[in-house]
This record gives sequence, structure tokens and C-alpha cells, in this order.
Amino acid sequence: MKQFLNIIIKLGSIDRRYIFILVGLSVLIPLIRPIDIPIRATSQSQDVFNALDALTPNSKVLVSFEYGPSTKPEIHPMSMGILRKLFSDGHKVYATALWPDGIFMSVEALNQTEEEFSLEYGVDYVNLGFRPGNEAVVKGVAADIRTLYTSDTRGNHIDDISMMDGINNINDFDFVFSLSAGYPGTKEWVQYACDPHDIPMSTGCTSIQVTEVLPYVEAGQVKGILAGMPGAAEFEKLVNIPGEATGMMAAQSFAHLVIVAFIIFGNITYFLKRRSDKKNLGEK
Amino acid sequence: MFTIEVFGTWFAVFLTLAIFSYLYDDNPFYKAAEYIFVGVSAGYWTVTFFWTQVQPNLFGRLWPSLETVNADSIFIKIWYGIYNIFGIFLTGIFPKGGIVGHPEIRFIYIIPLILGIFMLLRLVPSVGWLARWALAYIVGMAAGLRFYGFLNSDIMNQIKATVVDFSGSWVSILNGVIIIIGTLTGLLYFFFSREQTGVLGKLSKVGIYFLMISFGASFGFAVMGRISLLIGRFNDLIEFSSSSHNYATFWLLAIMIIVLGAWAFQKKSESGEEVTN
Repeated sequence: MKQFLNIIIKLGSIDRRYIFILVGLSVLIPLIRPIDIPIRATSQSQDVFNALDALTPNSKVLVSFEYGPSTKPEIHPMSMGILRKLFSDGHKVYATALWPDGIFMSVEALNQTEEEFSLEYGVDYVNLGFRPGNEAVVKGVAADIRTLYTSDTRGNHIDDISMMDGINNINDFDFVFSLSAGYPGTKEWVQYACDPHDIPMSTGCTSIQVTEVLPYVEAGQVKGILAGMPGAAEFEKLVNIPGEATGMMAAQSFAHLVIVAFIIFGNITYFLKRRSDKKNLGEK
Repeated sequence: MFTIEVFGTWFAVFLTLAIFSYLYDDNPFYKAAEYIFVGVSAGYWTVTFFWTQVQPNLFGRLWPSLETVNADSIFIKIWYGIYNIFGIFLTGIFPKGGIVGHPEIRFIYIIPLILGIFMLLRLVPSVGWLARWALAYIVGMAAGLRFYGFLNSDIMNQIKATVVDFSGSWVSILNGVIIIIGTLTGLLYFFFSREQTGVLGKLSKVGIYFLMISFGASFGFAVMGRISLLIGRFNDLIEFSSSSHNYATFWLLAIMIIVLGAWAFQKKSESGEEVTN
């Protein structure tokens, strides 16, 4: 028994690189050999779906892309799910970006949905692109969008885009959706645009941001939240279009199981080591 | 065939593997990837900022297209004369006839132009102090802007949200009570005007438990986020390991393992020599 405990204690101080390998394998294997796992929508994801579902057809929705390639695996599946939902319900989408690399993300997502839904640029959607200035941009959109955006990403003048007629500030939108990976992002939309002007908004954000945004969701300032990749997979389930996130959930779940197992194991070895150290000290 | 697209994927795979190689040890591959990332990011941000804001929204407002501006006055002619001098050297930034997009000249934008120049003067030590003026404006503006945002959304609305609605279901009442206890005890933990003993000490201890649960949730979400990013990189590595990408992942992985092995061996023998000396 003592020998067995010693082995357990020794395993507790194993080189961290072995743990990296095991976590890596737990992600890699389900990606190579996909496994279907059941996905059930949480109340927060359901709230996002309900908020979008409640919009009357032809609503004007501002979708802000605040993420880049580094957080693409988490947010991009949400973007696709949200855009598919909005276009299939016949809404008008106004895309903006608070991050410079958000332009690439918006162009990629909108090009794909344009093909899927046979959309017409300038009629069904417009991409206003990126403007630097963080919260000042949000404040600018809230106050006077035309001062901030004089042209779109394709170089068209704002006045020449038909769906921009009557759009002057945040009050002209029916809903705001923030696809956010950090600062500037959801928080800034809440603080400088949607709260002061009472415009309903919702968000899809990275897992790391969830605890920061949840108080706004609990307070009703944000209508639901898509939390990281699981949030994206849940939304795909709700709109009934399985996408990228659904396929990745098995890898995510297996990796979590391995990490939880390591945390439990690490704690057990910690307590065993502490007990054995105390015992050795007593013997001396 | 080795097209430019294939080269791009090979480069992406190389950078991904180079970053992953840090899990083994700090090494030249990782350092190279890190420096490339910092350099490319800085370059990309600068170019994007310039062409999306400075050129169209600053220069564009100071020198809009002459088609929309009444250029009869001598002052406007001198103003556009300055523009034309810039245009001789930088045709792309200052195209002939003014910048299309804005209907009239907005001279108020000379102030941000001057503040922007002040910011760059930081590079000239003798007049670097002028940058403080621009920074002072940014700090003042940001403080004022954020004060309003925080006061409204993070203080007033969050205080409202802690009010328990007794007309709701018992679950929502219980939830509300937990939120109010957590908020108050959490705030008490940061109350340092009195020694945290007695009732205050006990309540702040409850606050610590709430904070710990919050930190635990944050940690859990952080792990979830990192795993999602790992999945994203692995997905790309799997995709780029196919024949259409000339087996980029396999080739580069093999090359990097060999080079890293040789590097580790050399490092080990060098440190051995140092010990002997």
C-alpha cells in the first residue's frame, strides 16, 4: 500500500509536458474520429434565440464583429449561426467592426451567407467595416453614424447605399448583436449605446468574457448570451443548422474531462504528499 | 504544385507549430514566431488605422474634393496649395483635386491633426514633452466617457438588478437573495476602514467564498476558451496535413522535431562544457 501511495505521490510531480501531450491527444482524437454528443441549449442561449425570433421581419440589426483570427474558433461559428438566423428571418444586417481584423471575419461570414441565401449587397446587408477609437466608435454610432462612417468596406459612399437611408444613429436600429472577444466589445456596446438609448442587444462572446458579461444578462441589459464554443453549438442546435461548433464539441468535452481528472488527481497527490511529509516530520 | 496558397498554408502551419514548440521549451522557432507576430500586428494595425481613419476622416475632412468645395476665396486656394505640395510627394494619400467623401472643409479637425503630430514628437527628445498634451486630452476624454458609461450601466443598473422581486417564483426569489448576499458580503471584504474582526470578519469571509466561486467560474471559462482555441489550431493542422497542401503538417512537424532535437542536444553539451570549465 505504501509503495502504491509513493507511486501516486511521484506521479503528482510528473513533468508538465506529459500533461500537455495528454490534453493534446484528448482534443486531437475526437477531431480525427468524430463522435456525436448530445447538445442541450441553456436558458441563456435560448434567450438569444427568443430575442432574435421576436424581431418583426425586415428589422434593422447591427452586427458588430469584435474578434480576429486568434478567437475565430470560438466566435466565428456563432457569427454564422446568427447571420443565418437573421437572413432566414428576412432582416437587414448592418455589419461593423471594432477590431481591425474584424473586417476579415465579417467579410468571410457575409460572403458565405450571401451565397447560401442569394443576398444582394446594399439591399440585404451592408458592411461598414472598421473604425479605430474603441468606445469612441460605439459612442459615435450611438450619436451620428454618418460622421463616423462615410463609406463602406467596398468604397461605396454611405449616401449611395439604399439600405442606409434613414440610418443616422443607434435609435434607427431595432437590435444590436455583439460578437465579442474582448475590449472593445460587448461591454462598450452596453455602456455607450444600448443602455443609454434603450436598444435591445444580445451577445456571443468568448468563454473568458462570460463572467464579465453575465451580470448584464442577469440585469436584463443584455438579452441572453452565447458563451464560447458550447454557446455556438447550442445556437446551431436551436436554429437547426449543425455547423462547425457542433462538430468540435466532442473534442471540447473530452479535453474538459481530462483536465478535471488532472485537477482531482493533482489535489489527491497534494494531500497525500502533505500527509506523508507530516508523518516523516513526526518520525524524526 | 507549390502555389502561393500552398505557401501560405505552409507558413501558417510553421507558425502554429513554432508557437506550440514553446510547450517543450523556449526555443528559436518560438522566438521567431513571436517576433513575426508582433511585427506583422504592429504593421497591420498602423496601415489599417491610417487608411480607415487618418486618410479619409482627417485629411478627407480638411481637404475634401474640390468638386464639392467652393474654391473661389484666396484663403481656400492657399489651403489647397499646401495640399498640392503634399500631393507631389504622396500622391496616394493626397490625390489630385482633394479627397472624395466629405462635402465641406472642417477646419476644427486641425486640432486633432496638431495633437496627432504632438504624439509623434515623442520620438524627438527635445520637444517630446508636447506629447503630454495629446496624452492629457486622451486621458481626460476617456475618463469622462468611461465615467458616464460605468455610472449608468455598471453602477445604477447593477444596483437595480440586486433588488429582490418577491412577486416571482421561489427560485428567482432565492436567486435574488443569493445575489444580494454575495454583493454585500463581497463589497464588505473590500472595506478596509475597520479591522475585519467580529461580525465584519465573518461577513467578509462569506464574501471571500463568493469571490472564490466567481474566480473558479472565471478559471473554468478560461480553460474552456483556451481549449476552443486549441481545437481551432488542431482543425487547421489536420486540414493542412492533406495531399492538397503537400502534407504541410507532417513535413514541418518532422523537420521541427529534428531541428529542436539537435538544438536541445547542442544546448545540453554547451551547458555541460560550462560546468566542466
